[in-house]
Amino acid sequence: MNKIHKEAEKSDILTEVGKLIIPFIQVFAIYVILNGHLSPGGGFAGGTILGASMILHRLIFGWDHLISRLTYDRVMKWMCASLLIYGALKGYSFLTGGMHLQVWDVPLGSPGNLFSGGFILPLNIAVGIIVSITVYVFFKLFYEGTI
Amino acid sequence: MPMYNSYPLIIILVLFISAFAIPIFKSIKMARIIGISAAAISFVLSILTLMGVKADGAYYFRVGHFDAPWGIEFHIGIIEGLMGVLFMTVSLAVLWFSVYSIGHDLSKKKVPLFYTLVNLLVGSLLGIVFSDDLFNCFVFIEISSIASCGIVVVKDKKENIKAALKYLILSSLGSGLVLMGIALVYSLTGHLNMPHAHDVFVSIYPEHSRNMLIAVGLFTVGLGVKSAMFPLHTWLPDAHTYAPASSSALLSALVLKAYVILYIKIIYRLFGMSIVGDLPVLSIVLLLGSVGMIAGSVLAILQKNLKRMVAYSSVAQMGYVFFGIGLGTTMGLAAAIFQIFNHAFTKSALFLSAGSIIEKTGKKNISDLKGIGKEMPFTLAIFTIGGMSLVGIPLLSGFNSKWNFAVAVIEGHRVELLAVVLISSLLNALYYFPVIINGYFGEESLEGKVYRNTERPLKELLPIIVLVLGVIYFGVSGGGLLSLIEAGIPAIK
Amino acid sequence: MGHLLINYYETGAIILFGVGFVTLLAHGNLIKKIIGMNIMDTAVFLFFIAKGYIAGNEAPIIRSAKAANGYVNPVPTALMLTGIVVAVSITAFALALTIRVYEKYGTIDLNEIIKMGGE
Repeated sequence: MNKIHKEAEKSDILTEVGKLIIPFIQVFAIYVILNGHLSPGGGFAGGTILGASMILHRLIFGWDHLISRLTYDRVMKWMCASLLIYGALKGYSFLTGGMHLQVWDVPLGSPGNLFSGGFILPLNIAVGIIVSITVYVFFKLFYEGTI
Repeated sequence: MPMYNSYPLIIILVLFISAFAIPIFKSIKMARIIGISAAAISFVLSILTLMGVKADGAYYFRVGHFDAPWGIEFHIGIIEGLMGVLFMTVSLAVLWFSVYSIGHDLSKKKVPLFYTLVNLLVGSLLGIVFSDDLFNCFVFIEISSIASCGIVVVKDKKENIKAALKYLILSSLGSGLVLMGIALVYSLTGHLNMPHAHDVFVSIYPEHSRNMLIAVGLFTVGLGVKSAMFPLHTWLPDAHTYAPASSSALLSALVLKAYVILYIKIIYRLFGMSIVGDLPVLSIVLLLGSVGMIAGSVLAILQKNLKRMVAYSSVAQMGYVFFGIGLGTTMGLAAAIFQIFNHAFTKSALFLSAGSIIEKTGKKNISDLKGIGKEMPFTLAIFTIGGMSLVGIPLLSGFNSKWNFAVAVIEGHRVELLAVVLISSLLNALYYFPVIINGYFGEESLEGKVYRNTERPLKELLPIIVLVLGVIYFGVSGGGLLSLIEAGIPAIK
Repeated sequence: MGHLLINYYETGAIILFGVGFVTLLAHGNLIKKIIGMNIMDTAVFLFFIAKGYIAGNEAPIIRSAKAANGYVNPVPTALMLTGIVVAVSITAFALALTIRVYEKYGTIDLNEIIKMGGE
């Protein structure tokens, strides 16, 4: 049982409104991810918003439109690359801290700046990508029965 | 700071990073190379860690740049080092065997997923054993429960999905109870680090004893569900029977043990014997352990499916471990940890050989396996050695384990519990010996069978032979391991 | 009794924990079991975060140059973010398994599935 739902027919209102709104949602998601260390938000919340925008795109425009951008291979490669970057950054921080080594550390910056807080900013970006792809993959799994 | 201090963290990092690197390459060959080489590197590092800890003593390793109680710490003593070596040995042998056997059970697309899940599972189990921070242990518990449900459901038949769903629901019940226990500990002490919380507990024990009793009870039931304490074991037979052979070996040998180690650490490091000795919890654990030892064997006698019988035998053997913890003495704890070693090697050898028999002959029931000894003599020999070890034949590790339990019972002045140990050993014989005797002897079963007809080539049996050599080694020279465990117990407290 | 009413967050959390626990065990429908698991986990999160709340203090964010009188303990909130992610991932996994069970067995009542058996 591959397709659980019938594809809805294209609707003009949804298409035009979608073209306007989806970029705004994605910009807001990127803002939430980047400001994770300064205000509430961060990787999880911003990633969920980004994943919701991908789901909205899939629902409005159907599968053909996305057939060149969010295939299974490309999505898995982005997710594994983000997981490996996360693992490498965390491993570096843990090992240098645990062994009390005095090597180069990410500069901490001053509170309130965007580029401050050490490792938190790159980790938030990695987590945002991972969470958005996971949310989208689970939606596709439930909606169509296959990834 | 000596180099081996960071090896436990490197082991966990290598296992996790290799698990995430496998889906990038989609071929089975690359998945096997990455998975097995990560396990081999971790095996070497774990042996080096154990040698370092034996020489220099237990140490704390801070993860990151903050000391406890603001940061997370690992505590590596002799017991954790031994557990690391045990987990990596058994998982390396199972991964080696799975190169030859996993292709028959799973579809080709899912084999890389299996290697990812196994590495994630072993990495998270080692995280539970090493970590000294309660919430860190909880996160690793959740990762391991998803990964262990994953390796049951990788094979795509309908009873697998039912077994995995039962396992997932009961497992999340256990995790919810453990999380509530952690919430109570945090609300009482304000610390999540085990030694710091222990200091606060010792000072506030008189007026908050009821809260601490509830916390210990929540931890007991929560971790008991996940490690098959007697009445909470109902998920185990389905999950261990229907999983592929390598998954059953890993589930039965390793997954149950990591939660018991966490329970031991909570009782001895977080609460301490001075507090737990006053509460009635250990007597209840002792009672449930003894009932499990007998009831597990009785239920195993009634089974017709070979793997289901071995799965119920796991319930009985885990009853031994809880029996040892419930005794409350140092010797009881040492006997319980020795039983963990014994059961890990023996049960993985049993599950791998039983899976090998089922795969090669296609027969799952015990009554169909008459005369199998002529067709597959070496595989049934491995099954025989494993079965005899669990019954308690001397020169094998199971005998040493039961001897330790008997010594602990007599030392603790509870001689009436000796009867429980003896009765359960006899019951073990009642269901292992029929398989062995029907396999090898009996004229009417042996005619018509060709010698070594469906035997596996010797190269493929080598991983199981390594596990059996471990069983024999711990049987012949168990004293060395026991004294090492007893030397390591003070560091846990 | 007065203690229970003063700490009403914790009391509500324990009652919700009991509700979720009984829902998880008693109902046969798989979706209800997953809902019960979510209620149980959410109750523990509420208990944990309520333990970090101090009446009269503000959220631990620097809004302007002037610092507030005191801040709420941020450690439980950070821990429970991780806990929420864990609960969501287990819910997603359980729901995916439920869909597969429905495809293979045709029912999502756990008692009927156990009775159907099958080798």
